[in-house]
Amino acid sequence: MTERFAAGTRVRTSPTDPTHHTRVPRYTRGATGTIVESQGLHPLPDDRSRGLPCEPLPVYTVRFAARDLFDEGDHAVTVDIWQTHLTPVDDEGATPHER
Amino acid sequence: MSGDHHGTNSHLAAQVRHVETLLEERGLLDASELDRALEAFLARASPANGARVVARAWLDDGFRSRLLDDANAALAEVDLSMGGGLQEQRLKVVENTAEAHNVIVCTLCSCYPIALLGPSPTWYKSEAYRSRVVREPRAVLSEFGFDLDPATEITVWDASAESRYMVLPRRPEGTEGLDEQSLAAMVTRNGLIGVAPV
Amino acid sequence: MNDVGGMQGFGAVEQEPDEPPFHSDWEAHVFAMNRALIGQGVYNLDEFRDAIERMAPQHYLESSYYEKWLHAVSTLLVEKGVVTAAEVSAGEHSHD
Repeated sequence: MTERFAAGTRVRTSPTDPTHHTRVPRYTRGATGTIVESQGLHPLPDDRSRGLPCEPLPVYTVRFAARDLFDEGDHAVTVDIWQTHLTPVDDEGATPHER
Repeated sequence: MSGDHHGTNSHLAAQVRHVETLLEERGLLDASELDRALEAFLARASPANGARVVARAWLDDGFRSRLLDDANAALAEVDLSMGGGLQEQRLKVVENTAEAHNVIVCTLCSCYPIALLGPSPTWYKSEAYRSRVVREPRAVLSEFGFDLDPATEITVWDASAESRYMVLPRRPEGTEGLDEQSLAAMVTRNGLIGVAPV
Repeated sequence: MNDVGGMQGFGAVEQEPDEPPFHSDWEAHVFAMNRALIGQGVYNLDEFRDAIERMAPQHYLESSYYEKWLHAVSTLLVEKGVVTAAEVSAGEHSHD
């Protein structure tokens, strides 16, 4: 699979809470952040933990403003997320609580 | 931190021995090989490795640049590596400056550059650290006795995938003329995680 | 229960100065045993993490770090058919 997101792209994390193992921390779900960099291709833990076929997929470091995660804090949090769990966001797609 | 020991220490030790015996009977484990592997791991991986890399970066700007750009390749320059474990992982080194401070966490479990630095401290694995440092890093740093300048921006790096993170702390003032060994001696494990200045 | 990022109420971060790499031999053995089993392909790292995550929340919070590891290793050994649950718990009862 090819990498979709260049550094600086705005992306939103999948909002759903899967029943199976995943590496999307709950506190990032549905939040919008910015791609920092690509980490290359790695098998999706969601599938690998269940013995499903898992081709290597792109993983990104995504930076979030603390206020977009917790409604408080002046810091940033970066999280490493598989492309499968990220959707590109354009200006019109900004969520209501974004500044 | 969680776990005031569900079982007693001797109970747990006996249970571990029991499981090992079951595995030995099935040819899946060799007790002496296990001890050898443990010894080799502990001999090879320790915070001193991180300290050495940091000291070199402080002294050699080219190395520093290469370390930030591709830490795995830079480690090889000094005969260190993130291998020797299950699989060589990508190391990402993040640099502290006057304007920017970095702190590392794995909120989901306890991912840490163990192949380079050895096992993480118990507090790093605790629910208290993992839950709070992403929400209130300044308060957590204060608990470590580290009151960061309010003007310094904090980035918390959650190691939720395949990369492992290490902080390149700021070189302390008044250390001009010190050699690599003396500089390395100043670098602490907590500094490499970002909960101490160095 | 493992997904604790941002959760509130966990209290102060307890620190132990100059702690050793492992506090007991059994912890070191669990560490090494897990590596050996993953290295041999008995299960993979993602399955291991998943086994910890499937612990009941109360059990998870009450267990120390390497107790969680021991639980996960034991769970997977049974699920993969390497040992039976009865064989594993035979050890647990004999220490009572």
